[in-house]
Amino acid sequence: MAATTEPVLSIRNLGVAYETSQGPVHAVSDVSFDVGADEVFGIAGESGCGKSTLIRSLLRLLPNNGTMTAERCTYKGRDLMAMSDEAFRSTIQWQEISLVPQSAMASFNPVYRVGDQIIESMRAHRRMGRAEAWERAAGLFDVVGLQADLLRNYPHEFSGGMRQRAMIAMALSLDPGLIIMDEPTTGLDVLVQERILRRIREIRAEIHSAIILITHDIAVIAEMSDRIAIMYGGEIMELAPSVDLFENPHHPYTLGLENAFPSIRNVGKDLISIPGSPPTLVGPVESCPFEPRCPFRIDGCAAANPAVVDVGDGHQVRCLQTGDVARMRTLAREKSTWRS
Amino acid sequence: MLDYVLRRLVYTLITVFAVASILFVLFRMLPGEPTLQVISPAMDPAVQERMKEAFGLNQPVGLQYLIYLKNLVTLEWGRSFVSAQEVTDILSYRFWNTILLMAAGMCLTLVLGIGMGIIMAWKRNSPVDVGGTIVGLVFQAAPPFITGLLLLMVLSYRLGLFPTGGMYPPGARPDGLLDLLLMPEFWHRIVLPTLTVGMYYISTPMLIMRDSMLEVLGSDFIELARAKGLKPRVVMFRHAARNALLGVVTIAGIMVGFAVGGQVVVESLFSWPGMGQLMVESAASHDYPVAQGTFLMLAILVISLNFLTDILYSYLDPRIKITAKGMN
Repeated sequence: MAATTEPVLSIRNLGVAYETSQGPVHAVSDVSFDVGADEVFGIAGESGCGKSTLIRSLLRLLPNNGTMTAERCTYKGRDLMAMSDEAFRSTIQWQEISLVPQSAMASFNPVYRVGDQIIESMRAHRRMGRAEAWERAAGLFDVVGLQADLLRNYPHEFSGGMRQRAMIAMALSLDPGLIIMDEPTTGLDVLVQERILRRIREIRAEIHSAIILITHDIAVIAEMSDRIAIMYGGEIMELAPSVDLFENPHHPYTLGLENAFPSIRNVGKDLISIPGSPPTLVGPVESCPFEPRCPFRIDGCAAANPAVVDVGDGHQVRCLQTGDVARMRTLAREKSTWRS
Repeated sequence: MLDYVLRRLVYTLITVFAVASILFVLFRMLPGEPTLQVISPAMDPAVQERMKEAFGLNQPVGLQYLIYLKNLVTLEWGRSFVSAQEVTDILSYRFWNTILLMAAGMCLTLVLGIGMGIIMAWKRNSPVDVGGTIVGLVFQAAPPFITGLLLLMVLSYRLGLFPTGGMYPPGARPDGLLDLLLMPEFWHRIVLPTLTVGMYYISTPMLIMRDSMLEVLGSDFIELARAKGLKPRVVMFRHAARNALLGVVTIAGIMVGFAVGGQVVVESLFSWPGMGQLMVESAASHDYPVAQGTFLMLAILVISLNFLTDILYSYLDPRIKITAKGMN
């Protein structure tokens, strides 16, 4: 377990439901994890698996029709669920939990200079003069590898990679305890992606923030994270230290995912996709969400949502067949297994 | 930036030139002799001919056009057929009266409209939002000569709260603009025409502001502004309203142009001695030099306002400047 000391963020049984005309949609259910200080916690899953909803709920950015419930949601021991919106805004947001948003291209306000938007985030929470904040912003730009005089430019004068760096600089501005990075490299070309990731790794050595890294890119998450949670249908299917997850996968969905990504070690190997499509999540959760697509399903899978099983060393799996993992791994390599 | 302003200025001047040329053609296409008002057909033909010469009407049309353009630039816009006053003198007095009324009306419209739009977007689907939309649309559907008449009927004739028209009481002669602005009677009299203008136009900035606010509120940078832990008020005004204004500024330029046309009705209704009233009077009395000058002046006013809108827009949206001068 990475989190030997007190975790920065501790979540038990977090759920988010959206009220819609078709009834409640359980976008996230029964999510539990801890993020330790200095840890990079990766959350991976395909589009619509609930990862963005999960972080929106943590940042209190849910739309009006969304409600969050949790048995526990604490940040450094402080109960976030009991905190009023105003208290959360003035003590937690950005100072303690900051965000690198999914769309850095559109997340800067186009009518203000990038520097002004960065110092705005500092001056909203700290007593700080303009000049002092500007100087600090220049220092942050240096950290992310941008020239300080770019602070005077408008967002449209930045390239995609530059905006992403500027976003990271802004997220670092108040030394938060936790930075949530939502698909920080999506939409960037591979070379820029690599440079951004390298920069994030370098920054990690200098700062003391925990990071939650969210992505649908297994390669990125494998490279960056200490521990990884695989999400499907709004739930965490498997949670394990990175190396363990890739060398010792347990959940059929994880097995399927690893088949579906190209690997440098197995060039020429056929990619196998998982047939079917993700669940709509309308109505109560009464079975394993992966059951309709799972080639290893048994009778119990549809009857109830499986409980989380700990298979050792903090490796958690939400599956009934953890005892049969060797057989599943062998079969999962065959293309015929994944025919619907 | 300077480059951009200069370029817009050149376009503006070209537009003014085009309007002046169209006016030249239009006034020569009017049915009947423009000289009918001053040259009586009962006069001796030789005298008629001499008078035409004096007005330069015996010259070829091309030359007349050049003289016309020259006179426009040198501000020799002719004399009124009716009062024999210089057209430029009449206009310079009337111009400011129109500007005062328009400024009051547009300030009311824009300030109240934009403010209402922000509140309505903020409290979307609340009674304020629904009620505001209905009231705005009703006002817009009611033509100003109806609302103006109703205001006059109720507030002036029935309740006697406001004078029925004019800019100052008969007999008072303000000495210049400043003197006029210091007269309480002036402010008393500007209320009703301003209200009439405001009621008619308020729905435009209000509904546009509401819509663009709702659009901006859904954008990524608003979500980030909220994630930054900014106060809701700051998110609403500094980030959402500031960007939503862009849409309103575009519309405002067009709307003010229409409002200049609307001045004709409002000024006639409230006997406001501005250019709109002058236009009606001069057309009715076949006072061609004055009518021509008034048309041109109003056109220049609209074109200048559009020019100012362009400049304001480039100030509000930094992306405009760059595309105008290319990447640098």
